[in-house]
Amino acid sequence: MRLAQSELFADLTDGEAKAIESLGVPIRLVGGDVLFDLGGVADSLYLVVQGRVALTMPITVRGREQDVLVEERGPGQTVGWSALIPPHRFTLKASAPLGTEVLAIPRTALSAHLEANPAVGYRVARNVASVIGQRLQVVQAMWLREMQRVVTLTMP
Amino acid sequence: MEMFLMVASMSLFGLAICSLAFAAATRTDVTEPAAQPDRVPVPAPQFFVRDVTSPELHTMVPIEALLLQIERHVRLEQAAGESFHFAPTAESLHMKTVSELVH
Repeated sequence: MRLAQSELFADLTDGEAKAIESLGVPIRLVGGDVLFDLGGVADSLYLVVQGRVALTMPITVRGREQDVLVEERGPGQTVGWSALIPPHRFTLKASAPLGTEVLAIPRTALSAHLEANPAVGYRVARNVASVIGQRLQVVQAMWLREMQRVVTLTMP
Repeated sequence: MEMFLMVASMSLFGLAICSLAFAAATRTDVTEPAAQPDRVPVPAPQFFVRDVTSPELHTMVPIEALLLQIERHVRLEQAAGESFHFAPTAESLHMKTVSELVH
């Protein structure tokens, strides 16, 4: 997968995308590996190159805490937005359900690069806003559907 | 001779009477037992043994199956949310789900 095809680096030229790619460190995960934990320091952004990353949150089921899938990300998609947003703490747990490769882009290196290249920084920031906006709308719709069920159950 | 025959017949008669009286006194009634009304058999008490026929156990979904149901529910809801994002209408927002978790 080319970096320029990813959601975060869409609209970048191949050269611009390669410059960002060079900041990253490839990480290979086997099924069951944890990429980051809920509450951990978010110092890297992760781009899924191949495989899948499951994002989970803990909920209590029959008195036991269980990690429940919240979202799943595939090739070209990014996980670890918390690295870009203060207070830079992960709000989910990320793990690989199968063999997966991600590119870890350190926050400090990415920030320095985008500040040094504002035109690239603008397009990346626009992509970030677009992806976050889309996810917000999806989560709003999911939340409202659950609310509708609660209303139907409690006020038939 | 006549006297002998009379005594003998009287003795036989007396023996017969005694036999009948003895049989009547020692006879046991062999009658069919009356039909009992239908009753639910009560199982013998079993200590330290869980009642495997408990309906609660039958309806209990294993936790692994429950987690799979939750996962499937989240995927379906995410797909519904994405549909709403691309075609935001009240109908797409309240589209029915096939998730077992809400049925």
